[in-house]
Amino acid sequence: MPADLRTLYSQLKKEFSSPRCDLKLCGTLLSKLKLGLIEAGLLLPQENPNPDDLAVTREILEIGAFWSIRAKDVPSFDRYFSQLQTFYVDFNDVLPPSPRQYPLQGLNLIRLLTQNRIADFHTTLEALPEEALHDNAFIKHPVNLERWLMEGSYSKVWGAREEAPAEEYKFFVDSLMGTIRNEIASCGEAAYESLPVHDAAALLFFQSQNDLITFATQRGWQVDLVSQTIVFTRKGEEKAEIPTKEMIAASLGYAKELEQIV
Amino acid sequence: MAATKDKETPEVAETAKATPPPPPPKPTPTAEIKANLLLIERAVSTLEPRFTQRVLRTLTSLRKKLTAQVLNQAVNEAYVRDSPAKKALLAYIPTSAEMDIDPPSKTSTTSPNSTSSEPLPESDVYLRLLIILHLIDLDAHPKATELAHETVDKIHALNRRSLDSIAAKVYFYLGRLYEIADKVGEIRPLLLAAQRTASLRRDDDCQATLINLLLSNYLSANLYSQADKLVSKTTFPTSAGNTQLARYLYYLGRIRAVQLSYTEAHTHLQQAIRRASPARTAPGFWQTVHKLFIIVELLMGDIPERGLFRQPVLKKALVPYLQIVRAVRTGDLSQFQSALSVHAEQFTRDKTYTLILRLRHNVIKTGVRALSIAYARISLRDICVKLHLDSEEDAEYIVGKAIRDDVIDARVDHAKGWMVSARRGEGVDGVYATAEPRENFQKRIGFCLDLHNQSVKAMRYPLNAHRKELASVEAAREREKELAKEIVEGDLEDDDDDTGGPMADF
Repeated sequence: MPADLRTLYSQLKKEFSSPRCDLKLCGTLLSKLKLGLIEAGLLLPQENPNPDDLAVTREILEIGAFWSIRAKDVPSFDRYFSQLQTFYVDFNDVLPPSPRQYPLQGLNLIRLLTQNRIADFHTTLEALPEEALHDNAFIKHPVNLERWLMEGSYSKVWGAREEAPAEEYKFFVDSLMGTIRNEIASCGEAAYESLPVHDAAALLFFQSQNDLITFATQRGWQVDLVSQTIVFTRKGEEKAEIPTKEMIAASLGYAKELEQIV
Repeated sequence: MAATKDKETPEVAETAKATPPPPPPKPTPTAEIKANLLLIERAVSTLEPRFTQRVLRTLTSLRKKLTAQVLNQAVNEAYVRDSPAKKALLAYIPTSAEMDIDPPSKTSTTSPNSTSSEPLPESDVYLRLLIILHLIDLDAHPKATELAHETVDKIHALNRRSLDSIAAKVYFYLGRLYEIADKVGEIRPLLLAAQRTASLRRDDDCQATLINLLLSNYLSANLYSQADKLVSKTTFPTSAGNTQLARYLYYLGRIRAVQLSYTEAHTHLQQAIRRASPARTAPGFWQTVHKLFIIVELLMGDIPERGLFRQPVLKKALVPYLQIVRAVRTGDLSQFQSALSVHAEQFTRDKTYTLILRLRHNVIKTGVRALSIAYARISLRDICVKLHLDSEEDAEYIVGKAIRDDVIDARVDHAKGWMVSARRGEGVDGVYATAEPRENFQKRIGFCLDLHNQSVKAMRYPLNAHRKELASVEAAREREKELAKEIVEGDLEDDDDDTGGPMADF
């Protein structure tokens, strides 16, 4: 690894771990480093690279992934994470385990969850070792969230938002809460005829009534301020139409087939 | 032990190819190998792959009879006296007392085609395959792997279509050897390269085997996304044998189940079960597929048939699964949890643990449905107690979600804190008022018609069988002609009579 890369790397490390880190500076450092890594043939390692260099590359990418979250740049996180996959899976035997591996994998899981990519979520989960699912706090958190979301225990999800095992997890909390609110709202529309405003706010985890009312108008609910109730507009019962065309097509199909048999 | 048994599965499935062996009196293994070599030669000279197929079909029964002596003799007979290839091969055969040749050093490499009277490459590879099998049975895995590698290199250099089906077997056992050695990661590049070559050469046998090997390779390392990509980038050869197809469908079902496409997974697994060889010949595969099948069925919200658990082959293997099914059927969350924790190890070994964890909310759903049917009105507090939920708040959300997902037809009265069930399935509002019965009817008729058409297509017409019929048709036609003639003649006679009358009068 060239010397200037090393200096850049130590600069980045120092800047990133300082309490008031300059995200912009980190960003420029990272893009310089990435260029350097490509020139050194380390970003996509081939043949038999030096394990030390690999470990440094891995750390740079890990910092990049965390930086993306802090800079609220999810696509960039996605890129860093897929580049890291090589280091976590293929160089598993060569490299010492990274302390940041599980936090990042957990973050990736939450990202999939907030984007509602449940199938990808489970595929990723299968690739993780068994112990991690049970014991690792970083992995357990998204796993529990998914389970509660599937069952409908939304209050537990709400309760768990403060229990995030790492600072970066909180970035996803907001979008997760948005997802949950929409879920609860659609359940509510089906389950209730009307709800007192106060209770609706509690169910949807709104602190102020105003937030609730904007949310309600977005979803097209009728808010009766006098009696302080929300009336859910029921979707009119779908008219039972006879699907004539389909039935004709089916009958003609039967006739044709029967003709062939007889 | 059970783990190894499960790993054995593909092999067991492989053996299933064996249709009842030919009836003639049992020949000695040496004679059998000799006959097989002759068959292979015939296959090569007549370009008829079915002779090779016939040889491979006896592989399992022959495998049990292999000894060092038999192999030694076979190799000695097949090769000319001083061929280097022969020496190299003999080196792999474990030394036994009867051996009269000093085993030469193992490092000597084979140089094929050195003499003009070398056996055909096909026969050579077949003999090598037999030796590999024997070495596997003797637990001499490193040696077997070495030989298998050498053989694969040889196959690769040869590019002969008549070699394909034997080559597929060699690849299979090479993959199996790495599986035994637990080094599946190392063989992946070789398999991928071989797969590419096979598809370029349109070598269907190898392609089917290699795709399956790669899938099992990925799945054993839990690399589902890679497996999925492999499936999407390759087409499984349609001419592949039933056993390979069954395995492929099983892997496909497994991938889809993890990706939550349960309906698709269900179809694939069902096909795999139908295509698989009977339970008696391949119990391992049968059990593994059924385990996954049951879980997928549960995840879809169906309850598997009770009869399944009574089948002799499955009865014992499915006990833990039966308990899970019971818990889901009754919607008893605590029973589910206890069954899960008791059999956790078994489920982990079967790689169904994470799938079973997903069943938790199915259990809750079934529970809520049972309550909604039983009670016209029930308080959220009681729901919470009956389903062992953590809080009333949760119960409210869960019921809400169940209503939205159309699991139950009910309303929640928030102020009074209870759930009111709507009466369902009665009168005009029942399921018969919807389009569902029509759709189901259409689906079933469609299936029957398809089945009929497929069977018509699959019918075989023996050559020249219609000749006989033709002859009889000809005879019939002849008779008809005669009849027609007679009638015409009769008519004419009549005419004569009719016209003849007045004429006579003249």
